[in-house]
Amino acid sequence: MKNSLKVERAKKNLTQAQLALLVHVSRQTINAIELGKYNLSTVLALKIARVFGKTVNEIFELEEKD
Amino acid sequence: MRTNYLFPNRFKLPGWFLLGLGIVLGFVYIFFQESPGFLNQKVFAMVDQEFLHPVILFQMVQTNLFGDIIAILLISGGLFVAFSKEKIEDEYISKIRLESLVWATYINYFVIIFSIIFIYGTAFLWILIFNMFTLLFFFIIRFYWLKKSVKKMMRNEE
Repeated sequence: MKNSLKVERAKKNLTQAQLALLVHVSRQTINAIELGKYNLSTVLALKIARVFGKTVNEIFELEEKD
Repeated sequence: MRTNYLFPNRFKLPGWFLLGLGIVLGFVYIFFQESPGFLNQKVFAMVDQEFLHPVILFQMVQTNLFGDIIAILLISGGLFVAFSKEKIEDEYISKIRLESLVWATYINYFVIIFSIIFIYGTAFLWILIFNMFTLLFFFIIRFYWLKKSVKKMMRNEE
């Protein structure tokens, strides 16, 4: 799964820590998602999308290997 | 994340204390092979069988409680350390927790199979005694190791 989380954060000028706080997870979790090391749950994806005022598909998308 | 099978975060520190005390007393027990006399007590036993003696059921028996106390310290301390919530217990840490538990179970049973094949007599009995605690220990080591490596990954931040 690819994601544009880092870009979206930059646009909104949010740090990993701030985003983590907004969606009630640890900073490490946001970091692991950005690095593609953790496939997040649907609920968390929806929460993150809501923070950026976008749909889940605009931030997360499937890759070939998925 | 809501989980009802973990202890609150505040159990972690007392857990380390109980575990530490258990480990220290455990070493004392192994190296000196002696138990404090005042711990010789009459206790209720559901079952008791000494080597080459008949089985005793539901009676008071004389025993030294040192080993029992150490085992309970190690297990309760180990459980609190292993299964107290993190400060932020989210879905990613749950995944790390699960992976560590599976890993620890594999290692633990690998050690048992290895011991069944290569270790005999009273030495094997000692392995079984250690085995009461090793699943928890392997889990704790793996879980903290993974948490540390996740922290290291944080260097790429911003």
